[in-house]
Amino acid sequence: MPEAGPETGPETGPETGPETGTASGVARLVEIALRCYPARWRRRHGAEAAELAALLIRDGTPAGSIAWSYLAGAAREWLTPHPARRLRTVACALLVAACSLGVSAGLLASAAPARAASPSPPPGPAQCRSGPAAPVPGVIPALGRPQVIIREAGHDRSC
Amino acid sequence: MSRQDALTEQDVLRRVGEASVLILISLADGPKHGYALIQDIKELAGVELGPGTLYGALDRLERLGLIDALPAEDRRHPYRITAPGAAALRVHLDSLERVSAAGRLRLQLGGI
Repeated sequence: MPEAGPETGPETGPETGPETGTASGVARLVEIALRCYPARWRRRHGAEAAELAALLIRDGTPAGSIAWSYLAGAAREWLTPHPARRLRTVACALLVAACSLGVSAGLLASAAPARAASPSPPPGPAQCRSGPAAPVPGVIPALGRPQVIIREAGHDRSC
Repeated sequence: MSRQDALTEQDVLRRVGEASVLILISLADGPKHGYALIQDIKELAGVELGPGTLYGALDRLERLGLIDALPAEDRRHPYRITAPGAAALRVHLDSLERVSAAGRLRLQLGGI
């Protein structure tokens, strides 16, 4: 297997001398480009890709073009459909559908008793009528609030 | 289906792009890791592969089962061509050879 590449002395590396600031800026640029990849890709290739970038820069490849190549690669990586990502999307869609069904069923279930208790005239002798309460001796009517008087078997009851 | 159609159908490398074909050619004589691949392809075809292009092509070839990643050495993953990869490369190179021969013949007939 071929060797990693030319071994250059420390004096030729971009990390030394007066250009240290530029070199660290360049390294930062490549690092940012590598961070644009999905985590799965970074776990697999991240360390190797950073090392490869360092070797290429040492060979004289402009760091900008390396960073650009990684950025374009990251864009392609995000846009390429992967089976695992597709599976996750399907699982999410199923989860959302199940949640919506659950919410709908819950709403229906809560609406059923309310409908059962909807205002239909009670069969018994009790009667309700809305409007101002007739003055009943011993009862103080609520201020400004319409009252319903239930007349039940001859006894008045406000509700 | 004609013989030509059958051969075209088998040529899975028609749609994978030049970088992938160059990587397979480079791996045909033995496993290599990323940096060695870039150097070899530069020497072989005069094409300087960007590292982003390289990893994209390696992932695609691996998904297609045309190459395998070997256990990492230090931080580098060497790759090797698989048997289906070698077969696909052979079919593709045969197809290129036919097209190349036809092109040369036409140039000759055209007297250019």
